[in-house]
Amino acid sequence: MALTALICDDSLLARNQLKKSLPADFDANIITASNGLEALAMLRTQEVGIVFLDLTMPELDGIGVLEAIKSEGMDCLVIVVSADIQPEMQKRVMDLGALAFIQKPANAAKLTDVMHKYGLI
Amino acid sequence: MTDFSFSEEQRDGLQELVNIAMGLASDKLARYLNTLVHLQVPAIKLVKTDYLPTHFANRYPQQSMTMISLGFFGDHGLRGETIMLYQLANVDTIAKLLGYNNDDSSEAEMLTDISSILTTTFLNGLAEQLENNFSYAAPRILSSRDQHFAEKLASTAKQWQLALQVDIRYQLIDYSFNCDMILLIPGEAVLRLRVILDKILANF
Repeated sequence: MALTALICDDSLLARNQLKKSLPADFDANIITASNGLEALAMLRTQEVGIVFLDLTMPELDGIGVLEAIKSEGMDCLVIVVSADIQPEMQKRVMDLGALAFIQKPANAAKLTDVMHKYGLI
Repeated sequence: MTDFSFSEEQRDGLQELVNIAMGLASDKLARYLNTLVHLQVPAIKLVKTDYLPTHFANRYPQQSMTMISLGFFGDHGLRGETIMLYQLANVDTIAKLLGYNNDDSSEAEMLTDISSILTTTFLNGLAEQLENNFSYAAPRILSSRDQHFAEKLASTAKQWQLALQVDIRYQLIDYSFNCDMILLIPGEAVLRLRVILDKILANF
């Protein structure tokens, strides 16, 4: 069964950019959410293997999503894809259990590297 | 009459590019002040420029404020002006953070520094997203303590057909200050911006 990947970003352009930057051999069923609350609702009801998570979002931001994933012990991998590139913010997301931090707009080669490293492709 | 409006896709696309540019500016500010800057989703809105003086009169009732304007010129006729508006109370907060003295000459100096961190970094980031190159005019500083502030703001706004209003709140961990950033873009540059946005959107 193919993996389910969740792309969570408030911007349609950003979601589309990320979809297009994913490696061609990434065999996954892709679902999307436009804020953190929507993402959590999906994570609680569906089996999601990997989340591509934006940080700056309305309703609930990416940090809030990472905190919920951690406190609820959800079994999913998270790659943060954000424009908020402050060193302190990168450290914070890694401390909350993210696999990697990728600067927006996501670079396809970097994305492929990270996904390869964690056996997603 | 030429239609300068944006479709929802164009607005969303522009907001994302603004978000990326803001991320770069915040990172620079965070490194400069050695603190974490809390970023929020930039609320962007296209407005008619004649609405701006009233908008700011309502937003800052009886408050002293300072504005810094910076003109930018890009390739293919993309050009405009950014206006950053600060409440003077906020300026004092930033002045303390940066270790400036409390006199008028250094306030002007400090505002120019902040403007270069926030505005120029922002605009360079935006230009990169738009695959453009901006050059800049010297910044102009206008204080509400100056005479005819409202008229000057109104006459600055009036030179342009459309304003892209970007409400930004830079919140630091130990301090908080607001500044508003307005991007003013003349009509032909709006048309140019739409063409560029459509090109970017068509790639995805």
